[in-house]
Amino acid sequence: MLEFAVSVAAAVLVVALWELAARAGIIAPQFLPSPSRVVIALWTMLTEQNLLWHVAVSTTRVWIAFLLAAVMAVPIGIMMSSYRIVGAALEPMIDFIRYLPVPALVPLSIIWFGVGEETKIFLLWLGTFFQLVLLVADDMRRVPQEFVEVARTVGANSRQVMIDVALRWMGPTLLDNLRITLGWCWTYLIIAEIVAADSGIGYVIWTARRFVKTPEVMAGVVVIGLIGLVTDQLLRLLHRRLFRYL
Amino acid sequence: MTGYVQFVGTAKSFGPVDVVRKTSLGLDRNSLVVFLGPSGCGKTTLMRMVGGLDEPSSGSILLGGEKVVRPDRRRGMVFQSYSSFPWLTVKNNIAFGMRYRKDLGATERAERISHYLKLFGLADFADSYPNRISGGMRQRVAIARTLAAGSDVLLMDEPFGALDALTRERLQVELRQIQIREEKTIIFVTHDVEEAVFLADRIILFSRRPASIVADIDVAAELGPDRPLEIRETQKFFELRNKVLHLIRNETGVAV
Repeated sequence: MLEFAVSVAAAVLVVALWELAARAGIIAPQFLPSPSRVVIALWTMLTEQNLLWHVAVSTTRVWIAFLLAAVMAVPIGIMMSSYRIVGAALEPMIDFIRYLPVPALVPLSIIWFGVGEETKIFLLWLGTFFQLVLLVADDMRRVPQEFVEVARTVGANSRQVMIDVALRWMGPTLLDNLRITLGWCWTYLIIAEIVAADSGIGYVIWTARRFVKTPEVMAGVVVIGLIGLVTDQLLRLLHRRLFRYL
Repeated sequence: MTGYVQFVGTAKSFGPVDVVRKTSLGLDRNSLVVFLGPSGCGKTTLMRMVGGLDEPSSGSILLGGEKVVRPDRRRGMVFQSYSSFPWLTVKNNIAFGMRYRKDLGATERAERISHYLKLFGLADFADSYPNRISGGMRQRVAIARTLAAGSDVLLMDEPFGALDALTRERLQVELRQIQIREEKTIIFVTHDVEEAVFLADRIILFSRRPASIVADIDVAAELGPDRPLEIRETQKFFELRNKVLHLIRNETGVAV
């Protein structure tokens, strides 16, 4: 409870200082508009510029790409650690691709997929899948051998060991890793939407920039921050609910 | 050579490293045999081969005359750490032993669970998760799970090694009682001489790696089957303990 109060107080303090600095005219408003002006901009965007629709578009993109990455990364990561052959075949390749910066692949992605939804989903997927798959493989490798052997000596076959022991043991770290990679998804989303989009929060921010509507740019950034905060808290709550034994 | 568990010229090497020298040995049914030897000598590997968790490089292991090829629930393992599943309650940890048994109905499962909860004094903690109970209780849970699985042979790898002295003593007494009551064959690996003498019907003493048998001590002949805590203070116990200690110093050339 105290922690929560401190978190809120610290945030309020930062906003208050920001407001003060802006009002005192220390920094020109086109560089740093006051929080109150950002809030007003946010309100106009919500009521007049269909901001919620852009938020929905962006969120959908993120979740499609993220779920696609997760659904592929979890089984492939597990296989990489369970079967040496699979690991030997995939790990070097994945390690290579993992280090390619997503923005560097934007032109290629546009050549392949055009400027439609596919490009955005592909870029987000690219940024998360290759990271996540290695994290999953690592978690799988850390399943204590004792647990596996206990299960085998009470009669479990490999599939049962996988489902009843390995996945159960990985559960908490897996959810943590998913939570973290979901955050990365948002980073790549903005890149994708700035380069090639006519919708989404990234597009809204980039358009506002062209007309130096700094309060709107900031409002867009704040919205992303808020979405991140809410999602993160929800996933933490889910974590606590699912893994009460921790 | 006879016995319920038989090592027939069993040897093991990992790559170029010899871990267990060719060993032939027969262990009686319903007895508690302690594998005693210096840390890392290969005694655990020998025990793991009984469980089917490691494969002999040459020779074989027979259980009731049948060759051991893979793990199954007739031989259960109890480890020192990671012994009970953290995501399952005490009750469900014990139930896990029966999870893959198709021969038990729901009532029978429930009966067995409550039987072992009582036997190990865990009834009050049935719905607790392992992180809420003591280390000693976690080991009780692990033993109960193995018994619930219907294991005939318990393979215990220094199961009390991480416990404090008092808890360890209590568990040793309990294990001995349960072994007699439930009629189990136990192979117990330890490097603690006192523990070995207190628990064992028979001690097999191993050399440093690669493990080979240096002594075979019939403890039951000296101390009998019942082992109350007070037995530790008797002359016989002391003599036996000293004898084993001397054997270790002379034969293995190390203090354990």
